[in-house]
Amino acid sequence: MESSILDSIGSEIIGVMTPVSLCMLLVVLLVYSLSPSEQSLSGASDPFRTAANLVYLERPDDSSTQKLEGAVLNALVFVILIAIVTFLLVLLYYYNFTNFLKNYVRFSAFFVLGTCPFALIHHFLVDFAHAEVLLCSWLGTMGGSIFLSIIQQFSIPVDAFTCFVLLFNFTIVGVLSLFSGGIPILLRQAYMVCMGIIMAAWFTNLPEWTTWALLLALALYDLFAVLAPGGPLKLLVELASSRDEELPALVYEARPTVSENERNRRSGLRFLLGGVSDSGSVELQVVSRDNADGRENHGNPEYSAVNVGTFGNEMHERSSDEVERLPLVGHLRDGFSSSGSSSDRSTSVNRENEIVMEEEMSPLVDMSLSGNNRQRASDSLENSLITDRGIRLGLGDFIFYSVLVGRAAMYDLMTVYACYLAIISGLGCTLILLSVCRRALPALPISITLGVLFYFLTRLLMEPFVVGTTTNLLMF
Amino acid sequence: MTVAVGIGYALIALGPSLSLFVAVISKKPFLILTVLSSTLLWLISLIVLSGIWRAFLPLKSTTWWPFALLIISSVGFQEGLRVLFWKVYKRLEDTLDAFADRVGKPRLFLTDKMQIALAGGLGHGVAHAVFFCLSLLTPAFGPATFYVDRCPQMPFFLISAIIALAFVTIHTFSMVIAFNGYAEGNTTDQYFVPVVHLVAGMVTLVNFASGGCVVGIPLLYILASLILLHCGKMVWRRLTAS
Repeated sequence: MESSILDSIGSEIIGVMTPVSLCMLLVVLLVYSLSPSEQSLSGASDPFRTAANLVYLERPDDSSTQKLEGAVLNALVFVILIAIVTFLLVLLYYYNFTNFLKNYVRFSAFFVLGTCPFALIHHFLVDFAHAEVLLCSWLGTMGGSIFLSIIQQFSIPVDAFTCFVLLFNFTIVGVLSLFSGGIPILLRQAYMVCMGIIMAAWFTNLPEWTTWALLLALALYDLFAVLAPGGPLKLLVELASSRDEELPALVYEARPTVSENERNRRSGLRFLLGGVSDSGSVELQVVSRDNADGRENHGNPEYSAVNVGTFGNEMHERSSDEVERLPLVGHLRDGFSSSGSSSDRSTSVNRENEIVMEEEMSPLVDMSLSGNNRQRASDSLENSLITDRGIRLGLGDFIFYSVLVGRAAMYDLMTVYACYLAIISGLGCTLILLSVCRRALPALPISITLGVLFYFLTRLLMEPFVVGTTTNLLMF
Repeated sequence: MTVAVGIGYALIALGPSLSLFVAVISKKPFLILTVLSSTLLWLISLIVLSGIWRAFLPLKSTTWWPFALLIISSVGFQEGLRVLFWKVYKRLEDTLDAFADRVGKPRLFLTDKMQIALAGGLGHGVAHAVFFCLSLLTPAFGPATFYVDRCPQMPFFLISAIIALAFVTIHTFSMVIAFNGYAEGNTTDQYFVPVVHLVAGMVTLVNFASGGCVVGIPLLYILASLILLHCGKMVWRRLTAS
C-alpha cells in the first residue's frame, strides 16, 4: 500500500514545535519544583536587581500605576540596551571580527552552562552571542546555581567534589557540542534546549509586571529589528547571506528529516512550508527517515551554526563523500520508482525544503537565489537528494516563549495550558507566513501577543467560569 | 505520596487519551497539528462562553436552573462550532486531495479521514479535560485533599477526574461519528451527537442533589459506552463496506 500524504505533511513544523514544547515543559516543571523555596527566600533576601529592572524595583505594596510605569520604563531600558548591543554585534560582524565573536560565544556558553560567579562578564558575552539576550544580571543565577537549587530543593545527597566534576563535564561537553563539528546533532539540539531552559528559568525571577512589559516590548523590538529597513537583525541576516556564511548566533536547527515534499510545494503552500534551498552550501546528503538516526551520529559537520570559517570546499567534499558512501535506502528507492511511474520526472527528485527560520527571534534567512539554484540543482542532481537543514529558530525565541509559560505557571495550570496553545499556534502562524513571504521573519510578535492575550483572558474570564462549574461537579 | 496521587488523578482523566495519542496520533505530524488546532478552537470556545457568562458569575450554588441554562447554552454553542469545524475540515480535505493529485500520491484514504476526525475529537476532549479537571488538580499535589458536601464518598479530585474521563471519551468518539454523519448525509448521526452531548451535560446536573454522584456518574458512563459502541459499529460498517 502506498503511503498516504498524511504521513509526511507538517513534519517540519513538528520538528520545530517539539523542542519548543519540551523547553516550555521543562521550564514549567522547574518553576513548579523550585518556586516554594524561592518564595521563602525572597522574603528575606534583597530584591533582585538586574539590567532588566535597572530603573524600577517592584514591590508588592506599590500601587498599580506605579508598577505599570516602572515596568514600562524597565522594559524600555532593557530593549534599548539590547538594541545597542545588537548594533555593536552587527558592526563587529560587518568588519569581519568573526573569530572574536565566535570565541565570545563559546566563552559565554561555557559560563551559562556552568556555574558562574562571574555573572557580569558572562552576561556581556552572551549578549554578543545572540544579540538580544541579556546584559542582565549582576547576580547571576545560571546553570550552576539552578543545579544547586535543585539539589537543595530535593535534598539530593552529593558532595561538592562530585558536583563540581559533573558540572564541569556537563559544561565542557555542552560548549564542544554547540560550537564544533562532528558532534551528533541530537546532542547539539539537547544543549540548545538546555541553554534555553537555563536562561528562561533565570528570567522567571523577574517581578510580574516587569516580565509582561518586557515580553511585549521585546516582541515589538523583534518586529522592528527583523522587518524594518535598517533593523539590526535584518542587516545581520542580509550580511550573512550575502557572504554565504552562517549567522554568528545561537540558533536551533530542526533535525533534518526527509519528508516527501516534492517540488510543487509552492502549490501546497499551506501545508508545506515553502522551502528555500540554501545556495552557498547545498548539501548533498542522503538522509532518509529509516536511517536518520544513524546518519546523524555520523557527524554532520555542517550543523554547527557558528563554524563560519571552516565552511570551505572540504565541507562540500565531505558531504559528497557521504553521498557516495551511504546507500540509498529502500524507502527512498520506493519513492523514486513509484513516483517515477506515476508522474513526471521532476517529482522524483526528492527535494528537501530548506526553511531557514532564523535567529534572534528568528529572522529566517531567506535564500534569495533559490530560483536559479533550484533549477540548476534539479538539472544536475537527478539521483541525489538535497537535504534540508530544517527550520531554524533562534535561541531567543525558546527563551522568551518559556519565560511566558513559566510566568503563567506561577499563577495556575490553566493559564499554562492556554499560553502554551497560544504560543504554539502563533508559531504555526509564523511558519505559515514564512512559507508565504519567504524571508526572514520574527518569531516573537505573533506568539507573544497571543500568549499574553490568552493569559489575561484565561485568568480574568475563564477561571471563574470553570471553577464555578467544576466545583459543583458539572461538566459538558 | 501526594505527588503520586496527583499524577494518578491526572492519568485517570487523561491516560486513555495519552495512549491514543502515542499509539495513533504521534506517528503522523499532520494529526498532531490537527489535535493542537482543535484544542485551540475549543479553548477559544470556552473563553467566548465564559466571556458571555462572566456577568452572571458566580452563580448561587443552591439553585440548579441557572446551571441548566449555562449547560444548554454552552452545548448549543459548541455544537454550532462543530458544524463550523466540519466546514473548515471539508475545505482542508479538498485542498489535501488536490495536493495529493499534484504530487502524484493517492488521495486520502477512508482511514485517514477517520484519523483526522479522531484527532479533532481528541483535541476537543483534551481541551475539556485539561481545563475542567487537570487545571484544578494543583492542590491535589499538596499534602491535603478536598471533599465536596454533595458527594462525600470520594475526594473531589477523583470525582472530577472520573467525570473528565467520561467526557473525553464522549467528545473524542462523537467527533468521528459526527464527521461520518456529515460526510454520508446521515441525519440520525448528525442529531445523535448533539443530543448525547446535551444529555451528558444534563446528567451531570444530577450531581446537584446530595449524594447524586452515585447515580450521575454511572449514567454518564452508560452514555460514554453508548457512544463508543455506536462509533465502533459505524467504523466497522464503513471499513467492511469499502
